[in-house]
Amino acid sequence: MGFFDRFAVPHPNPAIYASMVAIGLTVIAIVAGLTYFKKWGYLWREWLTTVDHKRIGIMYLISALLMLFRGGADAIMMRAQLAVPDNTLLDAQHYNEIFTTHGVVMIIFMAMPFIMALMNFVVPLQIGARDVAFPRLNALSFWLFFMGAMLFNISFVIGGSPDAGWTSYFPLAGNEFSQSVGTNYYMIAIQIAGIGTLMTGINFITTILKMRAPGMTLMKMPMFTWSSLITNVIIVFAFPVLTVALAMGTLDRLFGTNFFTTDNGGMDMLWANLFWVWGHPEVYILILPAFGIYSEVISTFARRNLYGYKSMVASMVVISVFSFLVWAHHFFTMGQGAVANSIFSITTMAIAIPTGVKIFNWLFTLWKGKIVITTPMLYALLFIPLFTIGGVTGVMLGMSAADYQYHNTMFLVAHFHMVIIPGVVFAMLAGLTYYWPKMFGFMLNERIGKITAWTIAIGTLLAFMPMFFSGLDGQARRMYTYSASTGFGVWNMISFIGALGLAAGFVLIVYNIYHSIRYASRDIGSDPWDARTLEWATHSPVPAYNFAVVPQVDSIEAFWDAKKKGHILFKGEYEKIHMPNNSGVPFIMSCIFFVWGFSFVFSMWIPVIISTIGIFACMALRSFEEDHGHYISVEKIEETETKLRGVS
Amino acid sequence: MKIDHSLPLEYSTEENRLKVLGFWIFLGAEIMLFATLFASYFTLVNRTGNGPAGADIFEITPVLMETIVLLTSSFTIGLGVHAMRLRNKKAMLSFFAVTLLLGAGFLAVEISEFVHYVHIGAGLQTSAFTSILLTTLGTHGAHVTLGIFWGLFIMLQVKQRGLTPETANKSFIFSLYWHFLDVVWIFIFSFIYLKGMM
Amino acid sequence: MSELFPRKQVMGFLFSLLLTAVALAVYFFDMSYAAGMTILLVTAFVQAGLQLVVFMHAGETKDKGAIYTNVYYGVFIALVTIFGTLLCMIWGYV
Repeated sequence: MGFFDRFAVPHPNPAIYASMVAIGLTVIAIVAGLTYFKKWGYLWREWLTTVDHKRIGIMYLISALLMLFRGGADAIMMRAQLAVPDNTLLDAQHYNEIFTTHGVVMIIFMAMPFIMALMNFVVPLQIGARDVAFPRLNALSFWLFFMGAMLFNISFVIGGSPDAGWTSYFPLAGNEFSQSVGTNYYMIAIQIAGIGTLMTGINFITTILKMRAPGMTLMKMPMFTWSSLITNVIIVFAFPVLTVALAMGTLDRLFGTNFFTTDNGGMDMLWANLFWVWGHPEVYILILPAFGIYSEVISTFARRNLYGYKSMVASMVVISVFSFLVWAHHFFTMGQGAVANSIFSITTMAIAIPTGVKIFNWLFTLWKGKIVITTPMLYALLFIPLFTIGGVTGVMLGMSAADYQYHNTMFLVAHFHMVIIPGVVFAMLAGLTYYWPKMFGFMLNERIGKITAWTIAIGTLLAFMPMFFSGLDGQARRMYTYSASTGFGVWNMISFIGALGLAAGFVLIVYNIYHSIRYASRDIGSDPWDARTLEWATHSPVPAYNFAVVPQVDSIEAFWDAKKKGHILFKGEYEKIHMPNNSGVPFIMSCIFFVWGFSFVFSMWIPVIISTIGIFACMALRSFEEDHGHYISVEKIEETETKLRGVS
Repeated sequence: MKIDHSLPLEYSTEENRLKVLGFWIFLGAEIMLFATLFASYFTLVNRTGNGPAGADIFEITPVLMETIVLLTSSFTIGLGVHAMRLRNKKAMLSFFAVTLLLGAGFLAVEISEFVHYVHIGAGLQTSAFTSILLTTLGTHGAHVTLGIFWGLFIMLQVKQRGLTPETANKSFIFSLYWHFLDVVWIFIFSFIYLKGMM
Repeated sequence: MSELFPRKQVMGFLFSLLLTAVALAVYFFDMSYAAGMTILLVTAFVQAGLQLVVFMHAGETKDKGAIYTNVYYGVFIALVTIFGTLLCMIWGYV
């Protein structure tokens, strides 16, 4: 085998060649554009080296939107293939690759960065902090995630995509049945991104526990901050499991160990077990920040305080523990006996209780509220009924005896999409619309926003409700085609139409951003939604130091009470502010990680060794470096504040 | 940078206190990392395929040496931190040096143990049991190796820059890491070696 | 010189050596699986607690609530993961 043969795609087709050309042209266009407009210095100084949580949040947001379209393109191709019986649009191999990358991209490279984007942007503002606890670590987290995502995404043009499903079960994912480097990409790209996520978890727990504004006790924290705290706790204790599982999978594939093999004592079921020990908490990592966003949005637009604050907190704490007790419900049919299945069945149903508590709290918040239907609120209102469909079918799946009927059918696929799309995606879009003015200083168009929300909601119902029926009729998931006599055709055609509806919704979002950049008013003040928490007490867009004076908090809805009851948030004079310095090390180190990962995928050991040394050199450099940050002077703060007040 | 002189140096600034708490949370993640390895180990321990079982290959002498060396190093780094709190830089550096030397001694025994395993046909690829055994031990060993370099860097910094809030903070955090590795070893010693030879 | 060897830490070290010696009993004496595992569990967890309190100074600052919560939570989830895995992979099939 020649050196370059290894980079060839094992199952090429015209779509992949077209993608190669498109990627090449895009890269050339970006490089040429940056050079022509002389933006390299700006890019490096303001973005690549930044340690500002707000900018890191915005970079997460851009990555998440990009990945949404990558994963969405995969989804459309899948639905198009299944729209009619005996379709030949995609062959079996290509279909396998697409459902695999769709799952990984949507969960790990779309939903995760989307929640990271909102957490990064909102949490420090909401607790009245100047930045996160470890700003440089935060930058490293982002760049590791980004490089992991890029590494995963180049797989389909260099060496071939993973094709063993997003769960990558062994022995299918082992060398015998997955011979291309695709699964190596899976193992290593997710590993790199996962390390970044773990560091984010540590960073945000420390930030939330130690950096709250004076007076903000734990039980006075806004709900989104609470949900972020719990989410990060789950991250810290769940991601190491994934780290180990992926390392073991990598060892099996590249070094011939026998963890998940079918001979020499290997146990393929152990992969499924470890994957879901991480995988089920991961579901709650995604959904809890979404619940936090809904809590903020619903309370703001019902114009009243959140009903049952303490029970909301308690339910999340219970979820954080229970999320680690239910994982085996993902493999009830693997052969363990009634006792084991019953235990996990009961814990699974038990976790529906705290989730139900939250739903009722939102409903009671709406009750007697003065509801204002804005775009974020519309998403929240659509979320409640749609999510309940997903939740109730989840309890059906949670009954281990009945699960033998639903397992691995489209019923399951419908269930988790009805949970994740209304639960996470609607929340992220609500959060995006809600926090957009804080991020960029203008609002997204409300009329287009509401049309988008309805389009996406109807698209979701059309795309996924039919799967419940075809699934109960016996359509298995991950089948690349079916015959006309099965009768699945009509359901799948409806699904395809729904998928087009969803696509239209996402195109509308892009159009809305474009439209609003061009036409939206910049004169919106710092609190356009008449909101209740601290992030709205500073200017829009937010100055680098967040708050010129650290706020003093003495109630749950600090900003609302400041507006309505005359509490004084900002006491005292301007003082010089200590801020962290920018650093290129996180970006450079992550680039080396990319080279390391890429070389690892193709078993090119010399570059692996060199880049490993590079990574350790970066760490050693960091150890010896003395960086005490810098101060923003009082004059500079006064100047900035005057300027921003003039605008708002 | 506000320095609170009523507290030990390693806690004296807000940034230092953040770092200590952050590192504890990292240790929480490390607990799960090793717990996953242990869960896999207990699952695979009897799945020896055609290879040897634990009772066939474990030997008490090197294991006991490793345990005593590591326990002692955990003691000496504790003394190092104590000396640091007395602002006795010389004693502190001596205790750190002893700790790292003991760490190197531990590694030497562990490496010879690995060579022995491979030599008698219990390599990484032999069976599920040997794979998880060597991976678990290797993960701990890699932590020790990293610790030796990290500790060395910190000693150099203390030597050059003296005991400042930053260097004291780094030294203290390093001591947490080292003690934690000792705790992990106790579990390896008890539930891999002793249970295997019981 | 003696100020460099605080009594608490020296005693802690001696106690940890003692615990190691007790654990070794399972190797040198013939005993039932249950008795052996009991000894190992007790000595290992006492040893870990000793390191935590005596050497790692877990309880010396205002953050001790957060630190202990973190450790207990980690140990709880770790035990759930280990025993749950054994339940799903081995015990559940009997």
